[in-house]
Amino acid sequence: MPPFFFYLLTLATFAVIYGVLVIGLNIHWGYTGILDFMYIAFVAVGGYVTAQLGLPPAQPAFGETYMLGFNWSFFPALLGGGLAAVLLALVVGLLSLHRLRSDYFSIVTVAISLILWTVAGNATPLVNGWDGITGVPQPLADVLNLDPNGYGLFYLGLCSVILILVYLFAQRLYSSPFGRALRSVREDEMVAQGLGKNVFTLRLRAFVIGAFIAGIGGGLLVTYVDAFNPSAWTSPETFFLWAALLLGGSANNRGAMLGALLVPVLFAEATRFLPNFYSPEFVNASRYIVVGILLILVVRFRPQGLIAERKLRVPKSKLLPLVASTASPESTAHLAQPGAVSFLPPEHNSSESKEAHHGE
Amino acid sequence: MQGFFSVYSPSNFVIVDSYWTETCICGLYGYFVASQLARSAHGVSIVRLQTASCYEEHLAFREEVCHLLQTLLLSLGFGLITASVLAIAAVGITLQFGVTNYLNLAYGDLLTFGVYVAFVANQRFGLSIWLGLLAAILLTSLLAWLINLLVLRPFTDRGTSRVMMLVVTVGVSLILQNVLLALFGEQFQKYAVDTGTPLHLGPFLFTPLQLGILGLAVGTMLAIHLLLRSTRLGKAMRAVSDSPELARISGINTRQIVNVAWLIAGGLAGLSGVVLALNVVTFTPTLGFGFIFVIFAAMVLGGIGSPYGAMLGALVVGIATEVSAIFLPSEYKTAIALVILILVLLLRPQGIFALRRYT
Repeated sequence: MPPFFFYLLTLATFAVIYGVLVIGLNIHWGYTGILDFMYIAFVAVGGYVTAQLGLPPAQPAFGETYMLGFNWSFFPALLGGGLAAVLLALVVGLLSLHRLRSDYFSIVTVAISLILWTVAGNATPLVNGWDGITGVPQPLADVLNLDPNGYGLFYLGLCSVILILVYLFAQRLYSSPFGRALRSVREDEMVAQGLGKNVFTLRLRAFVIGAFIAGIGGGLLVTYVDAFNPSAWTSPETFFLWAALLLGGSANNRGAMLGALLVPVLFAEATRFLPNFYSPEFVNASRYIVVGILLILVVRFRPQGLIAERKLRVPKSKLLPLVASTASPESTAHLAQPGAVSFLPPEHNSSESKEAHHGE
Repeated sequence: MQGFFSVYSPSNFVIVDSYWTETCICGLYGYFVASQLARSAHGVSIVRLQTASCYEEHLAFREEVCHLLQTLLLSLGFGLITASVLAIAAVGITLQFGVTNYLNLAYGDLLTFGVYVAFVANQRFGLSIWLGLLAAILLTSLLAWLINLLVLRPFTDRGTSRVMMLVVTVGVSLILQNVLLALFGEQFQKYAVDTGTPLHLGPFLFTPLQLGILGLAVGTMLAIHLLLRSTRLGKAMRAVSDSPELARISGINTRQIVNVAWLIAGGLAGLSGVVLALNVVTFTPTLGFGFIFVIFAAMVLGGIGSPYGAMLGALVVGIATEVSAIFLPSEYKTAIALVILILVLLLRPQGIFALRRYT
């Protein structure tokens, strides 16, 4: 098959895997408004654990050391990767989600991500240090016995099935009562709390669910690229995914997938195949410069993203009266305005409502 | 003393078995008793040998303790220098945060910008590093002012929430860092500068260059103190930092104050960037992004928005990171600062030294 086909196949596979990743981030930020800057760490944990569960035990004689090495088959290993990310999310969430204002929370998440990165690189027995893990077993490769292109197609199909499952799950989550509660937390947590919602539990659950999807996506990514080391998950990678989500459209899964196609794939992966014409770092650096400009421009000119979140329209007849009927109609008239209850992305919030409960 | 001293004497030799720490304390006493016992048995020479080795152990232990103390004092000295660098940076970011009220993740890359301005002046144009330092302060100050004017102010004018401001500064950080990366590459660079011969000052060991850094930091802190306490501008800055609305009502031109705050913060970023590069000797375009969280740690520890707290926080974080290098591999220095940052945010978000909240 022609090389161009192989190139397209690579791009398509990356697009599908990044689609899974951005949908997970969407559950954090788009659904719930959690400012998660350690998302790439969940991806990395999922990837490392998936790879290590599938690999045979480490052979220090060949200069490789890692913890697990259980020879598991692909799907249990992938599940294990997702659960490992869940574990990390639980620890981080239980420690910090209910205490911190969201901008301080984001600083804590970057800090945790950097600590994990330092440990992963320097503590060689854990995940083979800076050299990283290679030779991740390819699922069903021995059963199918396909040539590289055929196997690439098969893997693209596998990832697509998982993307569809994740997408359906995320859509179901969005329209469920639980999803509505999440969005109410995003819009105004004081109101959510006033209506009897446990804001902390809702946030924690969303954080864990997003992390699980990140772990699954990480497992798919690491299995596909076959080699993974700390230079693949520096913290700017998180902002790649953020740029994808913000450009595509927060809180809209189709937007998230579009962003995953546009930002990491077209901007980033495509430039990998371009020649270096200025300095060895030029192409790599220019990718990040473009992402930086994109972040600024999107927040400035199209904060809702390319595909905006649908506004939830509630017919007048279904609106519940907000105030008991004993109050005078004049005083409640402005409260029971009919028409659109808008669920705009969180950046439309006034900053006061965001900072109300934190850091006392 | 249990187990300190047991003598076993089957026929003609004696084994002196002692725990080495206790031998150190009671070395002489042990020698005395051992020789007494040995005289009564028949193994004088062996006992002498054994006790002699105990005494050597004692000496070795004392040496070890001395060595540890020396290392500790040396790292305290290094910590003082790191704290100086950190204090300049932390005061700068605190002034900016106090006035604008959003976190600025691009601040670390302003430091890097200053580093490379001085690098170009120093290595490409052959100027002295102190002229390079001056150029770095001026140009970084200008850049910070421009970034605020062209990029950030359009957002704050539209009332963008501080969460989204954080995302915008991430964008600025990515652009700055990678422009420098594209221009200068990933390789380690250094300044052409003479560090001078190290001087012993009491238990510490400083090069004249490090003393210069220390002096610059102390001078800067004094200048900031005078600015905040004794000038109209400083008073206005404190007023805006307390409450922008009230300041505006009182006739303070808040927009101008914000501009001045960016100029000062940028200048301090340039200054601290260059002294940081002098302190760590070699640098790459990611120097500042790695350092920003150490700066955050100092700022948060001192209470966000409080310049005096930031100075104290810098002292604690600077010394803690350097002393940690005795016990942990030095790769974890930054991680220690990150742990401090996380713990303070979780346990005492108003900061350790904060008398009152500024935010």
